[in-house]
Amino acid sequence: MAEIQLIDVSIRDGNQSLWGAMGFTTAQILEIAPVMDRVGFRALDFSSSTRMGIAVRSHKENPWEVIRLTRAAMPNTMLQFIGTGLRFISWELQHPDFLQLVYDRLVASGMSRFVVLDPMHDAEALLESARMLKKAGAAEVIAALTYTISDIHDDVFYANFAARVSSSPHIDRAYVKDPSGLLTPDRARTLIPAVRAQLGEKPLELHSHCTIGLSALSYLAAAELGVSALHVACGPLANGSSLPNAQRVAANLCELGHTVSIDDRALAIVADYFARLADAENLPAGTPQDYDPSFLRHQVAGGVMTTTRRQLAELGLEDKFPDVMREVVQVRAELGFPIMVTPFPQIVCTQALYNIIGDERYGNVSDQLIRYVLGKFGRPTVPVDANIKDRILSRPRAKELAGELPPMPPEELRKKFKPGISDDEFLLRATMPAEEVDAMLAAGPAQRHYNPDLQPVLKLLRELQKRPAASDIVVEKPGFRLELHSSSEREPVNV
Amino acid sequence: MTIRRILIANRGEIAVRVIRTCQRLGVEGVLAASEADLDSMAARLADETICIGPPNSAQSYLNIQAIVAAAAASKAGAIHPGYGFLSENPKLAEACEREGLIFIGPTVEQLYAVGDKLKARAHAAAAGLSGVPGGKVVTLAEAQRLAGEVGWPILIKAVGGGGGRGMKLVQNSTQLALAMEMAAAEAQASFGDPRLYLERYIPHGRHIEVQVLGDGENVIHLGTRDCSIQRRYQKLVEEAPAPNLNDTLRDAMHGAAVAFARHLRFQGLGTVEMLVDCDRETFYFLEMNARIQVEHPVTEAICGIDLVEEQIAIAEGRKLRWKQEQIVFSGHAIECRINAEDWLHEFRPSPGRVTRAVFPVGQGIRVDTHMQAGATVPPFYDSLMGKLIVHGADRQEALQKVRRALARLEIAGVATNLPMHVELMDNDEFARGAVNTGFLERFLENGNRAVV
Repeated sequence: MAEIQLIDVSIRDGNQSLWGAMGFTTAQILEIAPVMDRVGFRALDFSSSTRMGIAVRSHKENPWEVIRLTRAAMPNTMLQFIGTGLRFISWELQHPDFLQLVYDRLVASGMSRFVVLDPMHDAEALLESARMLKKAGAAEVIAALTYTISDIHDDVFYANFAARVSSSPHIDRAYVKDPSGLLTPDRARTLIPAVRAQLGEKPLELHSHCTIGLSALSYLAAAELGVSALHVACGPLANGSSLPNAQRVAANLCELGHTVSIDDRALAIVADYFARLADAENLPAGTPQDYDPSFLRHQVAGGVMTTTRRQLAELGLEDKFPDVMREVVQVRAELGFPIMVTPFPQIVCTQALYNIIGDERYGNVSDQLIRYVLGKFGRPTVPVDANIKDRILSRPRAKELAGELPPMPPEELRKKFKPGISDDEFLLRATMPAEEVDAMLAAGPAQRHYNPDLQPVLKLLRELQKRPAASDIVVEKPGFRLELHSSSEREPVNV
Repeated sequence: MTIRRILIANRGEIAVRVIRTCQRLGVEGVLAASEADLDSMAARLADETICIGPPNSAQSYLNIQAIVAAAAASKAGAIHPGYGFLSENPKLAEACEREGLIFIGPTVEQLYAVGDKLKARAHAAAAGLSGVPGGKVVTLAEAQRLAGEVGWPILIKAVGGGGGRGMKLVQNSTQLALAMEMAAAEAQASFGDPRLYLERYIPHGRHIEVQVLGDGENVIHLGTRDCSIQRRYQKLVEEAPAPNLNDTLRDAMHGAAVAFARHLRFQGLGTVEMLVDCDRETFYFLEMNARIQVEHPVTEAICGIDLVEEQIAIAEGRKLRWKQEQIVFSGHAIECRINAEDWLHEFRPSPGRVTRAVFPVGQGIRVDTHMQAGATVPPFYDSLMGKLIVHGADRQEALQKVRRALARLEIAGVATNLPMHVELMDNDEFARGAVNTGFLERFLENGNRAVV
């Protein structure tokens, strides 16, 4: 019987999977951070490039400050950052010195745990990122083995990759990342021992989405097979296409005789908080999913499906969703079977969407797809379909993107901006539109308190504020009536 | 290690205060309450309440056995002793050790070291601090000689005392014999220890204290508090930071407090109380309080730190999460202690039932209270009903805020010292800042109020 730790992904992966990656505000995080710190999670999956961009763009909050404040509020639980080592916020590839600065600043702000995920399983690239992270002072670096189903990605493939990455002193542990929730308990029983055998003393974790209901059982199989930590989510941020529910996983592990050292009461408070938040913000709770074998074909991860569905809904074409998902399988095959992990699901789904709503397939293609075909994301496992490749590369835009300059070193890049700005500000300005960074700075420091139960009242007050002409307001509900009548004399109010 | 359930062995506003932090952190709070407090606000907020005895303090809040039994019965992992009562009693800390409970406070050794005021003076001297000129006295002859050396008038203090209790002012040598007899008797009755010491009486002194936080290895300070407004050594108004204090003196006091705490390898929250001799522009060590203090909110206001949370973290064995350079002081805070006392009639305690309680709210206003309409102020304990704390960008703004806040504070059903605070906050000398310990007496005399 094993001692299993839990990694909570509610704040990042949970939010990304179920709530369209709208991200939590500083206030929403800080309110529950002290309690989360006491649950006993080994770490929180807390941030990523994407998440930092959203902080600036959608919340007008400083993402570095979010990290610092959270770290201050939860000093005893590691905060995790996940990245591919290729980019930061924008989709452009960055110079290694630029990325080193990113890592330095992340560690300085309070990130201690980093997951490095190479979408093409390029061990060299992954280990180079790990080296840079250790140089920046990262406490823990984890290599991701991204799970997919294909003839190539068998147990031997993953075992070899595990052997390769664990031989590096810069890698502390590894995890099997299953973004589409494809791992069956049966496969787990061969894959995990094969990988563990190559990792030596280095621990192995499992991260498997609940998209088709498999993770509940794969997790229990994994616990028997020497996995040290399982990734979970809390309350409404669990299940659906997110990760398994922390309380359920903990209870199941204990039922089977394993030890999970967490504070159940604190965990219940966290789950309840997110439930009240979901209620206040009209966000859907994840629900356990039915097994659907078609998933094993298209393999699109949770958040991307939600986003794709939302995009179709915005065009009034939500009924085309099944067609788009079928097209995804075709596009993925034509592009050489990329593993469906960010950014590839987005690239593939976007193209599938264009192919369905457009006049002809590949009539419209995204810049990202062109870059993919140009090989800027690495070499796909199997070559891109030759006809499709020709069509795409003959476009004028392809010539432009092929001629894109290699990434500039930070010293050069700094010259584009005002001298004397902080590293944190420089890193944002270098990767985001100026208006967005300016708007964030102009918004001032973020709010630090959030009470989900007050949201309806605050919403009411905001709506009333928008109606200054109203001189008589009546609020009524069963057993309650409030009347506000403005007087003719205006008395000065000193607060 | 993580504390999951705390037994709060106290009452009134501080019990509510500790419970609030427990709730914010997701820690379970069990209240140990006497029969008189079973329906108090703290009892309504706590996850559980355990009755530890009849209203009489000796049988409840001062009853170590009952408190430790309550912790065991509720499976609490730790005890928070609040302030007063057993908060600095090494025997409670020892009992906790024996029962495998965490005492949220300093170590037993540290409690002994600073609880005995003579030992504390000796430690202070070892750490490089000067006490108020004076020393231990056993015989009358010793006392006469020492008093002659340090100069009259003098204060006789109880070695086992503290918190302003058991002190006697003696103007000249003819009064000394009787004063010593009475002081010894009172000390024996109140603290179980008749030993005395004496100190020079400083007529124009400011009572300024420094908040410190230590984890057994590292110590930081969280600034000064000025508590000079006292009646019979009981504080009524406090502010942070101490106003109109020259920087050199302030830095020296910060340094002295940290040096003292470091010398003890202090673990927990503590306050080093000092007396600033305004005439001589120097300061003396008075005593150290090894517990959270009533006036802690003014420090929280200017530092942005939850001191109860820090107490819990240190009790869990964690290291300080900040270095001194990371502590930033911002603005100015003032606290008014609202007591159920009739200030027009010699501050006679006024227990009873509160029929109306309206507290101000707003930016920079905080009220720590256990009172609400329908609550009672029992006759068995102190008369503190609550604390109004305001925080402004500077002292001027804090003064304006506190005046407006007091105007919106209403309590009916019992007499309170609220009108006194209203007058105090309007007083010109107070507004100028840096009043000394003689100020309140003069203020009360000038208003022809009963002083004694």
